Amino acid sequence: MTSVHATFGEVAAERRIASVPLSHVSVELGHLYMEDFEAGPERLREQFRRVAPWLATVRSLWGERVPGGRARVSTCFLVDDYFSRFSTPDELVPMIVDAAAEHDLTIDYLARESACARFEDPRSGGVELARLVEDRLVDDPPQGTDGSRPPVKETGWLCNGSRSPSTAPPQAMGKARPWEPPVQNAKRGHSIFVDVELWDEQGPRRTWSCPFLAAVWQLLRLGLLRSDGRVPLSPVTVRDGWPRDWDQLPAVVRLDPQAAPFSAYTTLSVLSPRFLPVELAVRTILSQVAVDDEVLRQVAGRSESEGVRLEEELVDRISYVFV
Amino acid sequence: MLVMGEVHTGLLQNSGEISESTCRQVLAITAGETVRVSRRPIVHALSPERLTGVDCALPAASRSRVRGVGTVVSRCVVTGGRVAQGSSYVRVVRSEADRRLPWSHYLARPGVVEVLGKAKAADLAEGFTGDPAPGCLDLGAVSGRFLDLVQGSPLLDRLAPFKMSRTSLRWVAETGEPSIRFTLHSEQDRTLRLTHPGPFTPAVVDLCEDLATHDWLLTSLLVIVERARIGSTPGAQAAARLTPAIDHLLHLWMPAARVEEWLTPFWDSLERRPGFTRQWHSLVNRVRDQIATNTLALLSTSTEPGRR
Repeated sequence: MTSVHATFGEVAAERRIASVPLSHVSVELGHLYMEDFEAGPERLREQFRRVAPWLATVRSLWGERVPGGRARVSTCFLVDDYFSRFSTPDELVPMIVDAAAEHDLTIDYLARESACARFEDPRSGGVELARLVEDRLVDDPPQGTDGSRPPVKETGWLCNGSRSPSTAPPQAMGKARPWEPPVQNAKRGHSIFVDVELWDEQGPRRTWSCPFLAAVWQLLRLGLLRSDGRVPLSPVTVRDGWPRDWDQLPAVVRLDPQAAPFSAYTTLSVLSPRFLPVELAVRTILSQVAVDDEVLRQVAGRSESEGVRLEEELVDRISYVFV
Repeated sequence: MLVMGEVHTGLLQNSGEISESTCRQVLAITAGETVRVSRRPIVHALSPERLTGVDCALPAASRSRVRGVGTVVSRCVVTGGRVAQGSSYVRVVRSEADRRLPWSHYLARPGVVEVLGKAKAADLAEGFTGDPAPGCLDLGAVSGRFLDLVQGSPLLDRLAPFKMSRTSLRWVAETGEPSIRFTLHSEQDRTLRLTHPGPFTPAVVDLCEDLATHDWLLTSLLVIVERARIGSTPGAQAAARLTPAIDHLLHLWMPAARVEEWLTPFWDSLERRPGFTRQWHSLVNRVRDQIATNTLALLSTSTEPGRR
């Protein structure tokens, strides 16, 4: 008898990573905070009036870039229900949809900001997206980091270099150290040092910062998050009217049943310039998130198979229009 | 250019072996990431991989300054619910840019350390397996912390049945004509130089971890036998000192069980020289013979007339 080649496998020993359907670009048409809501529907109409031409531009740019011209573009809108609660979904959602329609805009997906922190999944219970991302942070090391000590951390903060050493005297009679500047790690000539607060805690309750949740939001839109290999959040269609309570509203709602997929190879956010510091913080966070290797390969493989070349670095897949 | 890694191996700080489900909890070091467990031929649990950022000098035998920037991949392993490991490695490649790039560049290449400037693979390999200067990339410290992470788990009772030092295996893998060189340095330090055909794959890391596990088992059994002081202590006492080996170690010997087929020739060649399994069997026989002789002695005393 010749030798027999045996194969033995164990499911629990293998990693399985689910894939998500992907558009070419996910366009964020706006982000609604309480202050915008309080300013009345006119503020919202004004936002959509500014956004409309940019959406048209994105569609035509991607139409040229995609072989065959069939670009998949999906639009989304984020409502803050995390830092402050205002109005109710049954009042607010129709108002947003109508204001967008006045400028021929269709909102494909509507998301709740609190879902980026935690949401209830009917299948798997509470899903803490923010924790998934927190555990994937890999600190940008200053020169001289050789692994001999754990990374220097200020709990709840993340920066892009080395902080200024403390100038306080070590003892009451000691001499204060002169100030030394913080240094950006990958500086070109001069430093732009950024230090971002990720969360704060009052007692047992942790409040995630706006940039941290916005970083989670970008990763969701890029389809790069997985929990135990599964896609943690999928859009849901609401059929029986809008609920009166935000917690009753699914994390991401599909408003248009014909919409292109929610997640995309790239994202574009059309925002007011007042969000510029937030987005700098978001990029500082995202450039220190290690996305699963397998997920990155999956997305790269998919895009290449349809003739789209993606930027290698995650932060380069994110773009903005500040108007 | 080359891959370098370091594995730290120790006895899990628990009175007995831990179950598969406890292994899963102990090794759940990243939210939303699964612990991989295989049950045949021995329970082997692998934590999710974590990255550590580094920007420092790389060890060079010539003591020339070579700067490397990138991430170290680390993971924890528990074998047979009894042996714990912290394991880290980096793939060293030449950087296309001659300056430090934004961090997102390095995170798009997990487990890669890019060398800025000139460096020779042989110089780094010699430097890493030799005596690295302080301030150089310290994979041992990283692996040590990952092993601490397991050992510090609140699920363990910290009542290990015997004391045993950790061992460290520092390894370098390169592509080329197949060869393997395993060197014992001190009581705890070992190095491994491996040249394999074809490109590097994580299967090489599995091989190094498997070698480290078995080297630790062999070292531990030797220490236990030595501590028993067979011949110079009464038989019953020696036998009692050998019992932990029987309870906790002897069933764990499964060389190359989890090594990919193309790498098994490396294990085989180490089996010929120095012959790990040969030494293991000889020690196991010695342990069993001691216990058997002691049992016989006990039986004969208990059947002596007038001693009942």
